[in-house]
Amino acid sequence: MKTRVEVVARRGPGGRTVLPVVSGSGQLAVRRTGPTSVHLVATAFGPLGGDDATIRLVVEEGATLTVHSVAAAVALPAREGERPSVQRVVAEVAGVLELRPEPTVVTARAHHVAELFVELAESAELTATEQVLLGRTGEEPGRWTGTTRLTREGRPVLHTTTGLGPGAPAWAGPFTPRAYASTVHLGREGTAGTGPDAVRLPLPDGWVATAWGDRLHRVVAALDQLDPDRTPTGAAAAG
Amino acid sequence: MSAALLTLADSRLPAGGHTHSGGVEQGIEAGLVHDPRSLATFLHRRLVTAGAVAAGLAAAACGAAGDRGALDALDAEADARTPSPALRAASRQQGRGLVRVGRRAWPTLDWDALPPTPHHAVALGVAAAVAGLTARDAASAAAYLSVSGPATAAQRLLAMDPLTVAAVTARLSSEIDAVAGTSAAPQGHGGHVGPLPAAADPLLDLLAEVHAVRNDRFFAS
Repeated sequence: MKTRVEVVARRGPGGRTVLPVVSGSGQLAVRRTGPTSVHLVATAFGPLGGDDATIRLVVEEGATLTVHSVAAAVALPAREGERPSVQRVVAEVAGVLELRPEPTVVTARAHHVAELFVELAESAELTATEQVLLGRTGEEPGRWTGTTRLTREGRPVLHTTTGLGPGAPAWAGPFTPRAYASTVHLGREGTAGTGPDAVRLPLPDGWVATAWGDRLHRVVAALDQLDPDRTPTGAAAAG
Repeated sequence: MSAALLTLADSRLPAGGHTHSGGVEQGIEAGLVHDPRSLATFLHRRLVTAGAVAAGLAAAACGAAGDRGALDALDAEADARTPSPALRAASRQQGRGLVRVGRRAWPTLDWDALPPTPHHAVALGVAAAVAGLTARDAASAAAYLSVSGPATAAQRLLAMDPLTVAAVTARLSSEIDAVAGTSAAPQGHGGHVGPLPAAADPLLDLLAEVHAVRNDRFFAS
């Protein structure tokens, strides 16, 4: 099934953000839940293998948009064949964008592909989080492939593809986590920092932090420890 | 097969690669590498992540030799795929070393189109081009070098049997070829650099950053 979501955030009268375009079709509906925030609401089970969702976001200069989801997404295998489910977020940001979806759970034999492509204008800000759990309780892990490509004024800032789960070439040996979380921020600088199974790396005017392990809540806690805005002392010690 | 390719992939080429362990030194410290089997696992993950990225960049840079704008763009793509400051520094150090020896070995103005301290893979692509090699050759050299240096480092640090380590590397041959072939294949159109391999490895990033702040290390990375 094809899912298409589009949200445009614009600076309105008095500097307040207005959302002239808020539309969802297929498996996702969009609800405006605050002055600058929307929630994505799944209207069906899934995604299923073969499903294809594109979420297009435009945040114009002076506008702010935060995107949440109401519940974890549970990626299920294709009914036939081995096609992955795909969710692609394509954003153009001149204002401030925050992407804070709930976790994605990839069930046994499912393969979920998550793509994030963001083009930022000179003074734009971005914060995007990702939380992944491979397999439900007592279940074999599924497979997740996440690609992030961020560009600022056309210049690449970060381009990485991380593969997790059975069949991912580097999901082997000492690195077979079931839980994975990552936050990327562009807007304020962050230094390099490390923790047990967690690492924060500087980017031009930003940082990217990644943590992994067996339990998602512990991984998310480890990631929070590396947030430079929450632990300034830790950042100084590690930098 | 050309002798120039053998020269580029030869560990005796004085480009400074021998001072880098490709994460193996910290992998040993962390208990991840301790015997031939764990070394093979480590080398394999390095090949399919950092090796694939380097192979793709080297192949693209081979095709862009002499084109300053295209090489700058590839160098920026290498940065975007190498967020670890320690790994960036290691790559640029080796890139500079390769340019130094390459200028003497294959004198041409094409070297001047590279940034002053290019990423190693980008410099390797240009080296392949000026030595008369193909993009696929450049990818092969990059993929091979992503495991050969670390294998030697493991041999030295763990006092492993050289025959065993040679066998571990030799057994990776078909996978090295596969990575080089996939990474060098034309992807996308119009010289787009977006589809270059971008396989990340958070574990190697973490090892590199922990290693960089140690003061008791034998290798630069």
